[in-house]
Amino acid sequence: MVKVTYIAADGTTTTVEGEAFSNVMQTALDNDVAGIVGECGGSMMCATCHCYVDEAWQGKTGARNDGEDDMLDCAAGEVKPNSRLSCQITLTPDLDGLVVHLPEAQY
Amino acid sequence: MPLAPVNDSVGIDALTLDPYPIYRQMRATTPVVRVTSVGRTFLTKAAYTKMVKDDPETFSSDDPNTPMKPAFQAHTLMRKDGAEHRRERMAMQMAYTPKVIKQNWADIYRELTDRYLDSLPRGETVDLFGALCGPVAADILTQILGLGDADADTMQRWSQQLIDGAGNFGWRPEPFAVSDRANAEMNAHFDSLIDYHKANPNASAFAIMLNAKDPIPKSQIYANLKIAIGGGINEPRDALATLIYGLLTNPDQLEEVKRQEAWGQTFEEGVRWVAPIQASSRLVKEDCQIGGFDIPKGDTVMTIQASANRDEDVFENGEDFVVFRDKNPHQAFGSGPHHCAGAHVARRTVGEIMLPALFERFPHMTMPDPQAVKWRGFGFRGPINLPVTLN
Ligand code: FES
Repeated sequence: MVKVTYIAADGTTTTVEGEAFSNVMQTALDNDVAGIVGECGGSMMCATCHCYVDEAWQGKTGARNDGEDDMLDCAAGEVKPNSRLSCQITLTPDLDGLVVHLPEAQY
Repeated sequence: MPLAPVNDSVGIDALTLDPYPIYRQMRATTPVVRVTSVGRTFLTKAAYTKMVKDDPETFSSDDPNTPMKPAFQAHTLMRKDGAEHRRERMAMQMAYTPKVIKQNWADIYRELTDRYLDSLPRGETVDLFGALCGPVAADILTQILGLGDADADTMQRWSQQLIDGAGNFGWRPEPFAVSDRANAEMNAHFDSLIDYHKANPNASAFAIMLNAKDPIPKSQIYANLKIAIGGGINEPRDALATLIYGLLTNPDQLEEVKRQEAWGQTFEEGVRWVAPIQASSRLVKEDCQIGGFDIPKGDTVMTIQASANRDEDVFENGEDFVVFRDKNPHQAFGSGPHHCAGAHVARRTVGEIMLPALFERFPHMTMPDPQAVKWRGFGFRGPINLPVTLN
């Protein structure tokens, strides 16, 4: 299992255990974490799974995937350098302890 | 495993009139069922519909042999998969983003909505379906797409003619003759706008597609515009009509919605309760199993999101309109690669602009006879009339 902490825009912090090689969006949905919608199921077509990777983790989550930039432009929240679509972050074991911040709204 | 059971008794007329009791029954007894009259395998549980839409390799949209092709005179992105679909879709997606709507269009939409509200007679009973829902949705789409002076009546007519052609599964010649004429009109209209959009780059879908660094072919630009016309008017129209009905027949909820300004939540509940797009088809590419039944390659499954949205496994009191739900993970916009491209637009325009503007303008409006409202549709659904007394 891989630990992920979600920090909502209002500061609410939720830590859950995700399955290895699941992704950050699906893990939020599986654990009822509010603030991520993930309406397209991870197909990179909805931009309702936007998150900001905590600065301490940016090096580990790596670069955005092909096409992710364009879809991020479709997100409701402000896009920052640490913005990612959480469905595109695979929970590899070295992400154990990952912290992501959530935007105020996903649509 | 066995093949899914067969249902010989349910017909298209019953599904068009009121599918919900039928779906409830199916969810309880035959959640995977081959419906003879429609020639499709119906999937009525939320888990199945989502699984199918999220797996485009097994359940493909790529079916060039539907009436959609002659109706649109093109193999459109709706019926493509993979990289080709993504490229054509992303070519216009920027026009449909929350930021573009906010920055470029929100004020124009407010004005358009106000203009229609201004024309409505206070104190009288008016059919809002025809007087408001359809025309506002059409005018807003004209702006989003960059279709110049195309008026609401023309846009609605084109839209309906495309839809009628695409739904012509009996392959009769007349609906195609009508959609051919509409295509000719649309092509001529699009042709007349190209120079303008090239000379004046703007945030409309047409201009964005034309002025892209690496534009898709003109034929696909036109096909995309037609898909947006075919799929971008009736859905917001039906969503708005459904929302008005839901609120006016639940006055307690309406009061609370106004108090909390919970228009966004109301929107989500409206499209969950009666999804404007109720069902979609997918072609099965390899032998597989769903819910304990063999689904053979070559079969066509139908995801019934209308039913998924009322699935007892996901929703409490799913048959009822309940704005203040804890969670509302509906599938009204689908899932997977074909997740509705207009979802953000619909949420902004219908949920944030039209609905609150209407209830602000006529805070005491009532629905004199809810029984008089007629609902229709199997593939697409909504009220077809909406008599409301404006006050
Ligand atoms: S879930 Fe839709 S883009 Fe990530």
